[in-house]
Amino acid sequence: MTDYALTLDEVCCPPALDLVSLALLPGEIIGIVGPSGAGKTTLLRVAAGLVAPERGTVRCDVAGYAPEAPVFPPALTAREVLAYYARFHTTGRARRALVHDALELAGLAPAADTRAAALGRADLHRLALAQAVLGGRRVLLLDETLSGLDPLARRDLCARVAHLAATGVAVLLAARDLGALERVGGRVLVLRGGRVVRAGPLVALLAERVLEVILDTPPPEPPPGFRITAAGIEAPLAGRTPEAALALCRAHRLAVRASRVRVKSLEEIVLDAHDTAPR
Amino acid sequence: MIWFVGRRFGTDRRPFLFYSVPVHFLRCVLAEWALVRPRLLRTRFGAWLTLLGAALIWLGLRGADPLGVALDAGALGAVLSAAFVAGSAADRAAFAITLTHPTTPLAVACGRWLATVLPTAALTGACTIAVGGHVPAAVAGIVAGSAVAGCALAAVLLAGTGAALVLFICMALAGAVPPEAIVGVAEPGAARLAVASILELGPALWRYREVATGDIGALMHAGAWAGLGTVLASGLVRRAARLAS
Repeated sequence: MTDYALTLDEVCCPPALDLVSLALLPGEIIGIVGPSGAGKTTLLRVAAGLVAPERGTVRCDVAGYAPEAPVFPPALTAREVLAYYARFHTTGRARRALVHDALELAGLAPAADTRAAALGRADLHRLALAQAVLGGRRVLLLDETLSGLDPLARRDLCARVAHLAATGVAVLLAARDLGALERVGGRVLVLRGGRVVRAGPLVALLAERVLEVILDTPPPEPPPGFRITAAGIEAPLAGRTPEAALALCRAHRLAVRASRVRVKSLEEIVLDAHDTAPR
Repeated sequence: MIWFVGRRFGTDRRPFLFYSVPVHFLRCVLAEWALVRPRLLRTRFGAWLTLLGAALIWLGLRGADPLGVALDAGALGAVLSAAFVAGSAADRAAFAITLTHPTTPLAVACGRWLATVLPTAALTGACTIAVGGHVPAAVAGIVAGSAVAGCALAAVLLAGTGAALVLFICMALAGAVPPEAIVGVAEPGAARLAVASILELGPALWRYREVATGDIGALMHAGAWAGLGTVLASGLVRRAARLAS
């Protein structure tokens, strides 16, 4: 029997979640994406035990939760905030070690003596991550922890999350920033209206290919399966060859200047899933 | 001692569940104490407490009753402490993260109550010594502070620092007025009766004055307010966490 770190079985939490099921293995990263109001945050809150589902079951190892807009006692420094939380876990030397490890894991050591109220966005998210990992928790529930950061901070935090996953920590990550998700990899769940409309490993999703065709003049009507872009038209290959797709263009008397095959971006995959899923 | 017991029966090793649960609860309560020192030093909390103490000592040296000074120090200090320990919006929002750690709303509320009472007790002791009061006066002040701390904690968790300001003014102006005085000043009426009932049932200073003479009823009244306030506060901690998450 597989030993999951977190399982959600047909969880309903109206109106935000509707029959959502997922299973997270130790060391696995699952990214949850979807538009605003899709149910990402509610899913994390249900997994964290902050919200009780109306129906369905949640099984979870001890989970650490980093909310989207973390608030900490404002007069305390980052180190004191972690020491405060660490007191709930253990005592004495072990507590100091816990705080030290959390500061190192989240890359917060340079800002350890800055007050929580004065921390910038990136350091605030680092502190949220640090308190979530405190106590050796095996499941991390991260709500937009990698979103809205400058590229350097995002790359650094992505690497830290990936490192935690490599040590066996299961990560459930809600993200608006799809670039961050592409960086950490794992599996992706696309939510819309509280339902999972698409799911799969990131590498499999990103294997989908698109044919871009550059035209001399934009067509009044694109061929079936194509859509008009700034430079011409494009279409997902979805099983057909590029030659077959180009033959379709020629059949429609389109003056093809150039063409190339590229992989679909995660953003396109999410938008497609959103547009094509039944409402 | 607590450190030793905590080490023996901490979360890592649980040889006796019977011991580890209360020890863990106690540890969670004491964790809240860690929040007091930085607040005393880095916020206006310390300055306000010092100012309050100076004002009460000045009144005491001008002839105010030492027992009255001790009671005022306890009650007003407790309201002030509650406002700085749990009254800000950020503090209440921070409960959302706190409760994802292995603690409980009751432990948080007990800890915040303790964090409210301990600076108040220090202020009361200092004021009583400065105005030449005796031990019973200091005890009465601390008991009054404990009762008012329960009430003030619930009030600030419900309505923020604004509630603390209202409570502070009420305590300063009418805290020592016995209900009989209200009943005697005007014709019977609902408002007058309501005020008299609040003074009768609420954590009012006229009642805790009797603690100095060893009145058990007054002690029990204070204990009930401290307990009720803490239990109410634990419910409000849970609510604040739910609202913030």
